[in-house]
Amino acid sequence: MDNILSILVFFPAVAGLLGFVVDKESARAYGITVTMITFLLSLWLWFSFDTANAGMQFVEMIPLIPDMGISYYLGVDGISLFIILMTTLMTLVGMVSMGETKNIKNMIITLLFLEMTMLGVFVALDAIIFYLFWELSLVPMLYIIGAWGGPLRIYASIKFFLYTFTGSLIMLVGMLFVAYLYHSLTGVWSFSITDWYALVLPVDYQLWLFAAFFIGFAIKVPMFPFHTWIPYAHGQAPTIGSVILAAVLLKMGTYGFVRFSLPMFPDASVMAITPIAVLSLIMVIYTAMIAYAQKDIKQVIAYSSVSHMGIIMLGLFAMNAEGLSGSVFQMLSHGIVSGALFMLVGMIYERRQTKLMSEFGGLAAVMPKFAIIFGIMLMASVGLPLTIGFVGEFLVLLGFYQVSPMMTILAGTSIILGSVYMLRVMKFTFFGPLDKEENKKLKDLNTRETWSLIPLVAIVIWLGVYPKPVLGPIDNSVNALLVFMDEKAITKEAKDMIKVPKSVKEAK
Amino acid sequence: MENLVYIALFAPFVGSLFAALFGMSERKIFVGIIGSALIGLSFLASAILAYNLYTTGTVVQVRMMDWISAGDLNVGFGFVIDQISVTMMTVVTLVSTIVHIYAIGYMDHDKSFNRFFSYLSAFVFSMMILVMSDNFLGLFIGWEGVGVCSWLLVGFWYHKPDQKREDNPSISPSWAANEAFIMNRIADLGMLIGIFILYWNTGSLQYDVVFAQLPYLSDSVLMWAAIALFIGAMGKSAQFPLHTWLTDAMEGPTPVSALIHAATMVTAGVFLVIRANPLYSMEAVAGVSFFIASLGTFVAFYAASMALVERDLKRIIAYSTLSQLGYMFAAAGLGAYWIALFHLAAHAFFKALLFLGGGNVMHAMHDELDLFKMGGLRKKMRGTWIYMTIASIALAGLPFFAGFYSKDAIIETAFNEGTYVLWGILVLTAGMTAFYSFRQVFLSFHGEERYKALGFDPHEMYKFVLVAMSPLAILAMITGLFMNQYKAFIYKIGESVQYEMSDHTHHLAVWLILLVVFIALSGIALAYFKYARTGEHAFKPDEKTANGFFYKLLINQYYVPVFYENFITKPYMMISEMLWTKVDLKIVDATVDNIARFFYNTGDKTRRMETGNLSNYLNWMALGAVILLVVAAISAMLV
Repeated sequence: MDNILSILVFFPAVAGLLGFVVDKESARAYGITVTMITFLLSLWLWFSFDTANAGMQFVEMIPLIPDMGISYYLGVDGISLFIILMTTLMTLVGMVSMGETKNIKNMIITLLFLEMTMLGVFVALDAIIFYLFWELSLVPMLYIIGAWGGPLRIYASIKFFLYTFTGSLIMLVGMLFVAYLYHSLTGVWSFSITDWYALVLPVDYQLWLFAAFFIGFAIKVPMFPFHTWIPYAHGQAPTIGSVILAAVLLKMGTYGFVRFSLPMFPDASVMAITPIAVLSLIMVIYTAMIAYAQKDIKQVIAYSSVSHMGIIMLGLFAMNAEGLSGSVFQMLSHGIVSGALFMLVGMIYERRQTKLMSEFGGLAAVMPKFAIIFGIMLMASVGLPLTIGFVGEFLVLLGFYQVSPMMTILAGTSIILGSVYMLRVMKFTFFGPLDKEENKKLKDLNTRETWSLIPLVAIVIWLGVYPKPVLGPIDNSVNALLVFMDEKAITKEAKDMIKVPKSVKEAK
Repeated sequence: MENLVYIALFAPFVGSLFAALFGMSERKIFVGIIGSALIGLSFLASAILAYNLYTTGTVVQVRMMDWISAGDLNVGFGFVIDQISVTMMTVVTLVSTIVHIYAIGYMDHDKSFNRFFSYLSAFVFSMMILVMSDNFLGLFIGWEGVGVCSWLLVGFWYHKPDQKREDNPSISPSWAANEAFIMNRIADLGMLIGIFILYWNTGSLQYDVVFAQLPYLSDSVLMWAAIALFIGAMGKSAQFPLHTWLTDAMEGPTPVSALIHAATMVTAGVFLVIRANPLYSMEAVAGVSFFIASLGTFVAFYAASMALVERDLKRIIAYSTLSQLGYMFAAAGLGAYWIALFHLAAHAFFKALLFLGGGNVMHAMHDELDLFKMGGLRKKMRGTWIYMTIASIALAGLPFFAGFYSKDAIIETAFNEGTYVLWGILVLTAGMTAFYSFRQVFLSFHGEERYKALGFDPHEMYKFVLVAMSPLAILAMITGLFMNQYKAFIYKIGESVQYEMSDHTHHLAVWLILLVVFIALSGIALAYFKYARTGEHAFKPDEKTANGFFYKLLINQYYVPVFYENFITKPYMMISEMLWTKVDLKIVDATVDNIARFFYNTGDKTRRMETGNLSNYLNWMALGAVILLVVAAISAMLV
C-alpha cells in the first residue's frame, strides 16, 4: 500500500459521509467498525514502519498549487507514528465506551470527521495542509461541545473555538512569513516543512517567528496563562469530547513544537528555554494546586491534565535526548491515562448525574472493578514506576536536570502535588463509609465499559514495564532531530545547549 | 543460580496474582495457604542463595531485560545477589512467610481475606525488587512499589469514617494511607534528584559503575548526591521531620504493621544508606554522614520519649520501631554499616514478634488497643505473653538476646567514634526503651485484670498461629550468637563495610556493656514498680500526671501533627482555593473574557455607523480623509 497515509486519513471521513445513510439503530456498530478498521490500519502502519530509519516514511507528495509550492505532502517518523496510533486507539476506545444515546448517529459522524482532521495534523508535512487540518479539527469539537454539552455549552464551545482560532491565525501569519522568506532566499515558493527545515534564519527572524508559532501552539497545549478555555471545555463537553480533547487535541500543540519550532528555530528555541520553563513550572504547580481545590471530579482531571502538559513542555525544551524522548513518550502516556480517567468519570456521571466528590464516598464497596481501574489509572497519573506514567515523567525530569537542577526540583513537585489531588479524589469518592442511599445501589462496570477500559489498562502496564517498542523509534527520531538542530544552530549558546547523545556522536 | 534468583523474586508475584484472581470473591482459605507457600518458596530460594554465597563467595548478577533506554540512558531489570542483598532477602522472606501464615489466622473473619493476601504478596514482591536490584532505578521501582502496597494495606479497611484527631490521632485508615503515601512522595523527590545527580555525573545508574566513578567526582557533587539520596531514605524510614506517617500507619491490619511498618519496608532507608556505603564513606560526605548519625540519635530519643506515655498498644510498638531505626541510622552514619545491617535483621525478628504478639492481644480484646483497659492477660494468653516477653527482652537489650548484641554494638560504636554526646543519648534511650517495652508488657499481661470490669472475654490465639510465630521467638533469642560469623560473611564485600572497634574501646567494652545493661534493668524495674503490681500498689491512671506539661507534650507527639495540619495542610488548601477562585477565575480568565468583550463592544458600537443613510456615510468618509491627511502630513514632517 503506497498511499497508506491517505487511506488512513480519509477512510474515517469517507465512512463518516456514508454514515449519513446508515440506519440510526446500527450507527454505533458502524462507528465502532470504522474506527476499528482505522485502528488496524494504523497498527499495520506501525508494523511496516522501519524502526531503524529515523527520517520520514510512507511519504506521499502530490503538488496541488505548484506555483505557490503548496503540495499534498504526507509522511510519518518515529515521533508522529505513535501519536497517530494513540489517536486511532483513543477514538476507538472512546467510541466503544460512549454512553451517549441522544443523536447518536450525528455524534458518530462528527467523531469520524474529527478523527480525519486529527490524523491529518499528525501526518501533514506541508504547512498549508497542516494548517487546514489544524483548523478543521475545531469544527467537529465545536459541535461536540455545543450540541451534546452541559448547560453552559454554548459559552464553552464558542470560547474554545475563538480562543484557539485566534492563536492559529497568528500561527498562519508566521507560516506565510516563513514561506515569504523561503521565496526571497531561494526564489521559489514552498510550503513543504522539510524544505523549510533547510532555511537557516537570522536570530531576530527566528525569535519573531518562534513567537508567532508559540501563540498558536501554546493556546492549544494549553500553556499558562492561555489555559482558561480548558476547564469550561472539559466541564461542558460530553465524556467522549473530553476524552478526545485531552488525549489528542492538546497533543497537537506539543506536537507543533516538535515539528515546527524546534527544528526550524533552534537558536530561538534555546533562547526561549527559560521563559518557557517558567510558564511550564507555573502550569505544573499552579494548576496542580487549583486541581486540589476542585469539588468536581472532572475538573480535577481537567486541571491535572494541564499540570501534566507542563511536564511535557518542559521536556520539549530540555534540548537533550532524554528529555525530548521522554516528552514525546509522555504525550502518549498522558493521552491514554487522562483519556481513561475522563472515561471513568463519565461512567460514574451516567449513573449518578453528578460529578461532585461530596456526593460520593465508599464507592469501592459497591463498584470494586471501577475502583480498581480508577486506582490503576490514578497510579499511572501520579507516575508510579512500571506504569506508563513513570517512563515519560522520569525521562523529562532527568533530561531537564541537565538544563537547570533548581527548576527540575520545582517541576518534580509534580509527583507530590499530583498525588495530593489524586489521592484526595480517591479518598472522597471510593473510601470512607458508603452513607448515601443513592450510592448503595450503584452498578459496577458493565461488559461494554469494562472492555473499553481493559485495553488501556493493558497498555498502561505493558508500556510501563517494557516501553522499548515505542520508546526506541521515538528516541531514534529524537536523536536525528537533535543532530539536525545542533548542526543548524548558528549561535554558540544554542550549539552548547543542544546535547547530542554520546552514543550518537560516536556512531557518526 | 539464575533460576533461584528468579524464583526468589517472582514467587511472591505469582502469589499476588493468584490471590488477585479471587480478589472479589469471599474468603477462600487456600488462597492464604498457597500465598504463604509461595512466599515460603521464595524464602527457600533466598536461603539457598545465601548459603551458596556463604560457602563460595561468588556474587551472582543477572540482567533480565531492558527497561528504559533513551539518549545515553540505558537501564534494565538487573539483580545482584551479594552479601547485603542476600541478608535483606532472607530476612524479608522469612518474616513475610511467618506473617502470611499468621494472617490466615488473624484475618479469618475478614470478608476481604483474599484481597488482603493479594496486597501482602505484592508487597513482598516489591520489597524483593527493592533489595535485589543492581541499579538505582530498579531500587526506585521497589521503593515506589512498597509505597503503593503500604498505601493499599494501611487503607485496607477503607470503609471506616474519618474521626476527630482527639478521638483517634490517625483520623481514619484512608487518611493515614494518604498521609503515608504523600509524605513518602516528598522524600521520593529527593531520591529522584539523587538519581539525576548520579546519572549526569557518572553516566550510569548501575551500582558498581556508579561506585567505581565516585573517586573522580567533585566534592560538591558527592555531597549533594548523598544528601538527596538520604532525603529519600528519611521518608521510607520515617526520620524526623517526615516521621508522623509511621504511627498513623498503625491503622492498617496488624500483620501489615508487623511486616511493613516494623520489619521490612521502613528499614528500606537504612538499606539504601548501607547499599550506597561507598558513597557515604567518602571523605567529602563526612559531614552528611555525621548528620545522619546525629539525626538517627535524635530520632531514637525523640520516638522513645513519646512511647513513654502512649496508651495505644500498637502506637507504642510503632514508636519503638522509629526509635530503633534511629539506632540503625546512627550506626550507618558513623560508618559501621555492617552493624547497622545486623541490627536491622535482629530488629526485624524481634519487632515482628512483638507486633504479632500485639496482634494476638488485639484479636483477643476485639480490637481494643488501650493498655489501660487490659492487665493480667497472662493468665488467659500464656503463649502470647511468653513471646512478647522474649521480644521485649530482646528489644531492651538484656544479655544474650538478639538486641543485646546488635544494639550494644551501635552504642559502642558511638563511644568508639568519640562522639560522646551521641553515645550518652543512645545509652539514655536504651533505658527508656527498656522502660516503655516492659511498661507495655506489664500493663497488658500483669497487674490487675482491668478488662473484666469492661466486659471483655479474652481468649488465646489459634495454636497454628502460635506455632508459626515460634521461629521468630527463637531468632529473637539466638540471632546475636551468630554475630561473628555474620561479620566474617559481610566483610567479604570489601573495605567500605568493615568496621572494627579500637583497642581502647575493647578494653572498656565490659564496663560499657555493664553500664547499658544496668540502665536497661533500672528501666525495667521502674516499669515493674509502677505497672506490674497488684493489690493496693496496683496501677491507676491519675489525673495529675495526665494534665502535666510534659505528659501533654508527649501524648500530642510534640504537637507536630497539629503543626503540620495548621501550617501546611490547611494553608495549602486555602491557597489552592484562593488561586482558583481569585486568581484563575477572576484575573486570568476574566482578562481573556474582557479582551473578547472589548472586541465585541467595539464591533457593536461601530456597527452603528452602518445606518444606511448616505449623508452619514459621507460624513465618515470626510472625517477619514482628514485623519489620513493629517497622518500623512505628520509623517512627511518627521521624515
